Amino acid sequence: MSKFLGLALGILAAIGGFVDIGDLVFNVSAGATFGYQLLWVVVVGVVGIIVYSEMCGRVAAVSGKAVFDAIRERVGFTPALGALLASEVVNLMTLAAEVGGVAISLQLLSGLPYRWLILLAIVGLAVIVWVTSFEWLERIFGYGGLCLLVFAVAAVKLDPAWGKVGKGFLPHLAQNNKLLYAYFAIGLLGAALTPYEVYFYSSGGIEDEWSPKELGLNRANAIIGYGLGGFLSFALMITGGALFLGHGISPEHLGTIALGAENPLGKTGLLLALVGILFAVGGASIDTVFSGAYNLAQFCGWEWGRYRHPRGAPRFTLTWLVLLVLALAIVMTGVDPVILTEYAVIFSVVALPLTYIPILLVANDKTYMGRYRNGRLANTLGLFYLVVIMVVALSAVPLMVLTNVGQN
Amino acid sequence: MRTLSSLLRRKVVTESGHSLGRCHDLRGELIGSKLHITGLCVGQGGWLEHLGIHSHDAHQTIPWSAVTRIEGKQIVVRNDAINGPLRSW
Amino acid sequence: MEIDIALQVLDHQLLDKNGRRCGNVDDLAIEGGPGELPEVVAILAGPGYWPQRAGLIGKLAGWIGGGRRVRVDWSEVAKIDAAVELKRAATELGLGRGDDRLRPYLDKIPGAGR
Repeated sequence: MSKFLGLALGILAAIGGFVDIGDLVFNVSAGATFGYQLLWVVVVGVVGIIVYSEMCGRVAAVSGKAVFDAIRERVGFTPALGALLASEVVNLMTLAAEVGGVAISLQLLSGLPYRWLILLAIVGLAVIVWVTSFEWLERIFGYGGLCLLVFAVAAVKLDPAWGKVGKGFLPHLAQNNKLLYAYFAIGLLGAALTPYEVYFYSSGGIEDEWSPKELGLNRANAIIGYGLGGFLSFALMITGGALFLGHGISPEHLGTIALGAENPLGKTGLLLALVGILFAVGGASIDTVFSGAYNLAQFCGWEWGRYRHPRGAPRFTLTWLVLLVLALAIVMTGVDPVILTEYAVIFSVVALPLTYIPILLVANDKTYMGRYRNGRLANTLGLFYLVVIMVVALSAVPLMVLTNVGQN
Repeated sequence: MRTLSSLLRRKVVTESGHSLGRCHDLRGELIGSKLHITGLCVGQGGWLEHLGIHSHDAHQTIPWSAVTRIEGKQIVVRNDAINGPLRSW
Repeated sequence: MEIDIALQVLDHQLLDKNGRRCGNVDDLAIEGGPGELPEVVAILAGPGYWPQRAGLIGKLAGWIGGGRRVRVDWSEVAKIDAAVELKRAATELGLGRGDDRLRPYLDKIPGAGR
């Protein structure tokens, strides 16, 4: 009985943890610009992250190897080094965006000056991570993020044209503004297919000492956790579409995004939205910073692990501390976290093939996976998403330039 | 003393100049606490093979005794090093 | 036991006798050439060996990593499994020094040994 309870709690935490600042920015903006037309892209993204994390989780459970271990061994030193460098750069950009998001939420909640809140955010995150056990971290940030369900309530209360919402789930191309539509589609996919989440998830599997017995759990986690998390993304886009479309409001600030909940639900809605954003983005910061430390430690062969005491994995610990400091420096320059988020998501998408392709290869490798290697379904989906990822990676930067970072 | 990395990806040619591909791996035998090198794995494919797109068993293994010299950027083996037909791409 | 050296040894994790992660197999030293039966005599570990693996990008990464080189005699290898397991502790072999040197500083912060 407690195994199911554990699974349920884990899923709740996953839902609350699914949304990060990229999802907030792109889903609400997409709603504000195109209404419900891009809902189908969110579905494609959610299925994609399910496929990607299930594969990485399976590699971890069967081979006992985390992503960068497997990539370095199987694909070779040079490609792995290239993938590592690209991942670390993208990771740092994402971390800075998330931390900026934390600072903004704190500012909206407290009214205190932004610059001080950046420092508070970094120090707060470092202290919380240092002091709190990992299970509690997952719970605190996961359940806190569940406050974002207020957007689901808001979406319903705004009484959108449900017929149009339904049509949005069917794949279709834009009538006009095709380039901007494509840009948002890419941004939505990038926001859903977050590599840092996958590295974090699979490294966690190694630390939890997964074996092939956990394959079912891995699949359930991936499908239910991310699937239900995707539901929050729908809520964000529907709210954005119902409130902002046609009014020329572009949610360039997190505050505007939170207004999506205030309009139908009043001050309570606003408060829940801000708290939800704070915890979701805070949790994402932690996942991101650990992911950066995992990748480097795994590539270099250092001791690593969030369950280990800091003294058990000194260089791993120093890495995440240094990453936080670097993120602090980036956000202190005054760069707008929402703009930084857009760049982080786009570059993340460009670097995605560098880790996705090796994992697809490892998941198919008989020596690593034995009878658990990719079957027909996994490979059909795996190859479908390979094509999606390649197309998206190649067109991301041109579209970003052509649409002037979504401003058109 | 050489390093493994200096041998990998070198071109492998026969004495008469026929190219057998590149060295993708070395086969070894672990006897007690010694690791002896018993052969070379060669393959015709380029970077695709390096990425593992073709299975490792598709490589030919040349016994180390067939290696006559290691020079410059290549490994030279006897003309009769490979017994069967080579896979050609 | 027959093994494929690049596939099963190179780039694999090094574990000491206590199961501690202490680096990767960055390269291998081989003695003996054509005409004799060569053998792998040592494991080469450390960022100092990265330039010879990856050219320019390896040089840069090796420089950032501190350029350290550690040579571990092959006789120190206990077992080749998913990782390469060694017979002695990392400190005795000169491995994992980065972690050992950093640990005293982290210990100064309360809660490091939680």
